[in-house]
Amino acid sequence: MLLLELFWSFVKIGFTSFGGLSMIPLISSEMISHNWMNAHEVSDIVAIAEMTPGPLGLNCATFAGMRAAGLAGAIVANIGALAPTFTLCFAAAVFFEHFNRNKRLAQIMTGVRPACVGMVAGVVIQLALANYADSAGGVHVPSLILGLINLILLMKFKISIPKVILFSALMGVILFGVIGL
Amino acid sequence: MIWRLYLQFLKFGAFTFGGGWSIVAQMKELYVEREKNITDEELLDMTSIGRSLPGTMIGNIAMFYGHRQAGFFGGVACMFGMITVPMIVLIAITTFYTAFQSNIWVASAMKGVRTAVAPVILSALMGMVKSAFKIPPCFVIALAMFILFFFFNVSCVWLVVIGAVLGLIMCEYYERRRGIDVTA
Repeated sequence: MLLLELFWSFVKIGFTSFGGLSMIPLISSEMISHNWMNAHEVSDIVAIAEMTPGPLGLNCATFAGMRAAGLAGAIVANIGALAPTFTLCFAAAVFFEHFNRNKRLAQIMTGVRPACVGMVAGVVIQLALANYADSAGGVHVPSLILGLINLILLMKFKISIPKVILFSALMGVILFGVIGL
Repeated sequence: MIWRLYLQFLKFGAFTFGGGWSIVAQMKELYVEREKNITDEELLDMTSIGRSLPGTMIGNIAMFYGHRQAGFFGGVACMFGMITVPMIVLIAITTFYTAFQSNIWVASAMKGVRTAVAPVILSALMGMVKSAFKIPPCFVIALAMFILFFFFNVSCVWLVVIGAVLGLIMCEYYERRRGIDVTA
């Protein structure tokens, strides 16, 4: 039953995601509403998936599946996330010539892309609210400052994502582990 | 043939970090430049269609290439080849994460890492913005979907469907009333 739920969640996630980050809003709401993860763990999986080889969505599927139902969960979640590839993409491969530069598809994407931008913006705020809060519900200032430094490293200095995540891990050990902020 | 496709994609999958573009670069090197199985343009077509279909871009591209070489099972072989290494790595990490989650050093490191997650998504979002707003109404869609998602907890499934329908309506309107082909 759990496996079936997990599978269905990732089928939904697969069919409504269009590349990379657009998966995160639905992953986040599915994981949190089923109590498979909390907002911190969703953040962790995004970071881990960015650091390891393979597509983000499938890495999330493996992590979430493992956490919810072990190895079987991981496999079921992956197959669910790949469902559009098995079906729609296979059909497109058969009719490759016709699908090529399909106008309807381009029209649909004209509306879907801004919708994804809106949802991803929403999930950024949700995760920020969880990650920069202290245990009392206020703002955890050291976390917020570290976050701003990360933003500058990424946007202004164009440091690569894995390096920024590694840097944050190191800073986390120093700030929260050694100094104990 | 199928076994060979599996092994080639196994290797691609092992060296794909972050986005899916490195796999496209690897495919270009092997299939376009060395084996000359497909042309540059065909790879570009596979990439652009793979990207606009739902699901994982790399999975879709793997399916396209494998299907072209060896039919449905060729596609499946490429897909499973690509996910094998990432899946093993993730299973190991998840096991480790679950075991050491409450360890003070691991917890501090993860607390640091979490501060990077919103900036990482935000910076990627900035990259999406350019191609997402082709015509002014797109801004309205983005804002409306943000409000529905953030304040009203409307499911992403519905938001994507609404976006798709609005995309069709908008493009047809622009073309018929104003003679502008948005998709061109």
